[in-house]
Amino acid sequence: MSARRDGRRKQGFFARQSLLTRYILIVVSGFLFIPIIIPLASLVYMTTSAIGGGDDVRFTMKYGNAGEVEMDWHAEARSLRGGRPDEVNARLRALADEYPEASLFWVDAEGQTRLRLPEDAEGEGGVPDHWSADDAVRFMKTSVGGDPFTVVAFLGENNGEAAFMALQLPRKLVEAGPSSGSGTTFFVAFVCVSFVLFTALSLLFFLRIRKRLLLLQAAMSKRGEHGLPAPVEVKRADEIGGLEGAFNGMVEQLKAGRERQQEEEELRKKLISNLSHDLRTPLTVMRGHLYTLGKEPLSGAGKESLATLERKADGLGELIDNLLAYTLMTSGRYRLEPEPADVWRLARESAAAWYPVWEKAGIEADIRLPADPLVWKVDKLAFRRILDNLFQNIVRHAAGGRYAGLYAERRDGRLMLVIEDRGPGLSGSSEGKGAGIGLAIVEYLLREMGLAWERESSEIGTRILIYQSGSSETWGDSR
Amino acid sequence: MNTELLYIEDDREIGTFVVQHLRSSGYEVKWLRSGEQAVEQAEGCKLVILDVMLPGLDGFTVGQRLKKAMPGLPILMLSARTAIDDKLQGLQFADDYVTKPFHPDELTARIEVLLRRSGNHAPEALQVKHLLVHERENRIVNGETGEEILLSGKQFHIFNYLLRHLGQIMTKEQIYESVWGEPYLEGDKTLMVHIRYLREKIEKDPAAPAIIETVRGIGYRVRA
Repeated sequence: MSARRDGRRKQGFFARQSLLTRYILIVVSGFLFIPIIIPLASLVYMTTSAIGGGDDVRFTMKYGNAGEVEMDWHAEARSLRGGRPDEVNARLRALADEYPEASLFWVDAEGQTRLRLPEDAEGEGGVPDHWSADDAVRFMKTSVGGDPFTVVAFLGENNGEAAFMALQLPRKLVEAGPSSGSGTTFFVAFVCVSFVLFTALSLLFFLRIRKRLLLLQAAMSKRGEHGLPAPVEVKRADEIGGLEGAFNGMVEQLKAGRERQQEEEELRKKLISNLSHDLRTPLTVMRGHLYTLGKEPLSGAGKESLATLERKADGLGELIDNLLAYTLMTSGRYRLEPEPADVWRLARESAAAWYPVWEKAGIEADIRLPADPLVWKVDKLAFRRILDNLFQNIVRHAAGGRYAGLYAERRDGRLMLVIEDRGPGLSGSSEGKGAGIGLAIVEYLLREMGLAWERESSEIGTRILIYQSGSSETWGDSR
Repeated sequence: MNTELLYIEDDREIGTFVVQHLRSSGYEVKWLRSGEQAVEQAEGCKLVILDVMLPGLDGFTVGQRLKKAMPGLPILMLSARTAIDDKLQGLQFADDYVTKPFHPDELTARIEVLLRRSGNHAPEALQVKHLLVHERENRIVNGETGEEILLSGKQFHIFNYLLRHLGQIMTKEQIYESVWGEPYLEGDKTLMVHIRYLREKIEKDPAAPAIIETVRGIGYRVRA
């Protein structure tokens, strides 16, 4: 017990929660993940790119971002005060070297396009030679948000002159186009991984529940001592733990119940034993005195009375034995131990014991049992008792027929043991007829061993057929 | 001196009667009312008749002690309890078992069988029809001619087995398994052949055997 408690104490917060709480925790964390994951992903992305990918950014945006380029361009424009064409041309040529991918031009105060760089790109990109107000507006309209990225700056201090210069750069150079694409991939991957993680967690959770349930099931179906399942170890204080606890409680109750039942059975058995003893002791004394009396000189009538008394004493003894046996059997105290045995052999041995009794009663024994064994699963003692009771009945009720037959008969493909007499039949009256407890025992024992019987009775005799009940049984009638 | 038996029985009426009966059958009887002194008193006795229900030590305990101290001493259990449970428990050490109420003649018959089986029978020769069987010396003599009859090993064992169960019918399986010491499968013919040779030696008329009786469908019997 202490080991079990230690084990429970060592477990973490999660393990101590109920299954419901744990599952809700998993689900809630799954939902919380969605709003958390996006900023988290950005953060992770930004930190990783700031740390490991800085050069990369500068490479893809070598002139800085759009704002920086714009600021630079305006600064350049401011520095070209006065707008002398030579000066501006020279400066633009220099700038063209700085921005090799760019196209540049400038327009003087009269709206004349002065220098267009690179020079071979003349007339392209919607740049007219002479700018009207329409042109300017159209140019600005097409340029805003378009590709190329266009910056227009008026020359002079505070960019206040009428002349202006324009810079057109492919947009990808000033906006992190390609890097924003890799960011999306990162996000998708991150969300996918999170989803997989969530699924895996749920799956793991359920697999562990399943495993514990299966273990519990195995423990329940396993039979330990006394045919009861052994208690299981309660590892966690959750619902399954509770189930395991309840199961253990049930096993305890069953065990207690079984013990109580055994005690009661023991008491009952003792009572029956004592009763048997108390009934038989006086009978034994009576029997003894009858025997002594039989040695005395008696008249014919005296001898006859004595014989009757002896017969009654014997019958009473058997009745007590059968009655107590039947009580024991029906209360489940008489446990049968069926094992494969040769039925013919058991019948022969039983007949051997009864033969002298039959001889004495003038009964001719006709025994024709096959030499090949017929193996049934029977409790030998119980089977002998069945035969004893049946043979006893022949002596008591059918001695007048002077015949006891014991043979095999095949009917519907199954071999049967037949016991036949030529008495007045079961319905006929007989001096020794009683409550039929002997036959009740036969009935009970046969049923317990999976055997069945049929009685064919008429006024010229009785045939008792014993066979294995159930057609699915295999028949080991020969080898 | 007669064969001495130890009888342990607490019931005075039954005890008195059984002792009287056994004495009239020619046995010396030592009667104990409880099992306390059983092992000491069993000294010199040839057989113990033991009641199951005794005050103090019960019959099973006494029987087990006796068997431990004297393994060769036959024990006949006598019980007024139900046959079913006691029979199993009792027969583990007991050599035979008689349930009350019993017929006095049955008791003496069982005692004789047990004594013969344990070799503690009367020293004089056993007479079976015209044969005198000196069981001590394993010698069989034709009582009419005085000639000794020599049997082969198996024949002797078969005859001896039937003599030890005098008056009882023994099945072919029982005889075969006791004499050959192996399960009876196809032993039928073997046993029949041996019985035929045995009869040729001991019977006056082997064609109409008087000593070894065939009980049709069951087995053989030697009647006293």
